[in-house]
Amino acid sequence: MKRTAAVIGVGHSDWVGDWHRVRAGERPGDSYHYGATAFRAAIKDAGIKREDIDGLIVGPTTAYERMAEVLHMDVRWGDQADAVLSVLQAVQAIETGAADVVALVYGNDQRSAGIQYGGPQAMGGDLFLSYVYHAPWGMTSQGALYAMTFRAYADRYGISERDLGHVAVAQRQGAARNPNAIQRKEITLDDYMAARYITEPLRLFDYCLINDGGVALIIAEAGIARKLSDNPVWIESTGRFDLNRNATSLEPRLTDFYRPAQQAVAEQVFGTSGLDPSDIDVFQVYDSFSVHIPLALEGYGYCGVGEAGKFMSEQGIGLGGKLPTNTSGGHLSETYMQGWAHQIECVRQLRGECGERQVEGTKRVHYSSDVAGKAVSIIYGRD
Amino acid sequence: MQTTKTPPRILGLYDVPMWTFLEQDRQLRLQCCTDCGTWRYPPGPACPDCLSPDSDWKPVSGQGEVVSWVMFHKEYLPEYPAPYNVVAVRLDEGPILISNLIEDPAENVIGKRVKLVPVEMDDGVVLPRFELESA
Ligand SMILES: [Zn+2]
Repeated sequence: MKRTAAVIGVGHSDWVGDWHRVRAGERPGDSYHYGATAFRAAIKDAGIKREDIDGLIVGPTTAYERMAEVLHMDVRWGDQADAVLSVLQAVQAIETGAADVVALVYGNDQRSAGIQYGGPQAMGGDLFLSYVYHAPWGMTSQGALYAMTFRAYADRYGISERDLGHVAVAQRQGAARNPNAIQRKEITLDDYMAARYITEPLRLFDYCLINDGGVALIIAEAGIARKLSDNPVWIESTGRFDLNRNATSLEPRLTDFYRPAQQAVAEQVFGTSGLDPSDIDVFQVYDSFSVHIPLALEGYGYCGVGEAGKFMSEQGIGLGGKLPTNTSGGHLSETYMQGWAHQIECVRQLRGECGERQVEGTKRVHYSSDVAGKAVSIIYGRD
Repeated sequence: MQTTKTPPRILGLYDVPMWTFLEQDRQLRLQCCTDCGTWRYPPGPACPDCLSPDSDWKPVSGQGEVVSWVMFHKEYLPEYPAPYNVVAVRLDEGPILISNLIEDPAENVIGKRVKLVPVEMDDGVVLPRFELESA
């Protein structure tokens, strides 16, 4: 394990309170407000001053210069990236000496600003052509891409729609024990099956929330982290592999279910750390849709190919299950922070701060993201 | 399946010929690499196999097989009131096309053979759609 960098502080906005305010017609703030709110909480959590930070990464939903201006930060290194790549880039910046203490800041007013993830103005179409290219045939919703993936996967391996329901049920179990979760009412498999289809075969509970919020993390070089923190959360290993060939035609989703990318990443994260899936206590998966979870379970070797349905129903991915997954409730039930809040949950499970949803004795947490075939993983650990 | 208006198409530098051929001769033509014969979709500036910039717009057979399909129950586009189907078809030539079946599937259609049907929309766009080959 390399342990060249560690997370020493995390923070987030009050997305539960803001959810209610937005539903009441208020606009609590813009994306920069949410980012600044999270940043204030993160430096307080880390016990550092803003002046101790010499690197800054902002999320893709805010302009780098403006966020840095709002936070009033001049730095010697900076970038803009999504949640998981921000962590990888912070580690790389630290390892190359470009920065010693990096702040990662994300803010998004997607709910109050009415951002569309389907339809003619589908967000992300400029980055991923598949999100908008098939509009003439009525295919623009990102959820529909996963519905199509799940149909092909179910046809190949025989997983049922009810089997998939274990994802939503398990994550709501965690959310019910998480005061920071927006949707906290527990659901059963029957509730899942009774919910309406959005794009069949996916139902309401397979879809992520859309809400406002912000997340920030402070990542520091190992020596500094030990000096500043009593409980640094180490970045043990990272890996990445992208499937881009025929992406617009959805081929990597529909024929291999992103598995080759995840297998390549598994070799990187487990190979370099000397760990294997049995060493992982908690799994966190980017879950814009529930379908990500069975695919990741198989792709990373937590169960055999085609066995995720059986794994979820017999071994369990909820609290008390074989592999507690998205213990905070994830995007489906806690908050849709585009992977950023998952990093916080990794840190809190390792610090033992998760209260009723704490997985006792957690030593290693695996985070996986496979957005549009870009498979990336981080393994976090503690001393 | 609706035939009123077509939601906005992506009409980049390489996309226009496909739509023009569809309107002119009711035929789907795709780029085929002049040097190695590899088919290219969506249209683009280089062969995915040999990177050659050269291509010919050749008609495809229109024969293919269903790779996956979904039913939309929520409306995302005013031109497409729900429910309606979307299907992924692998053409015999290789590329996967996202399209619609003329008739909503009554059962799982993965693996079923389909053939292309050009459908003229009320706004003049000719949309390549598919129908199940009769058993
Ligand atoms: Zn070629």
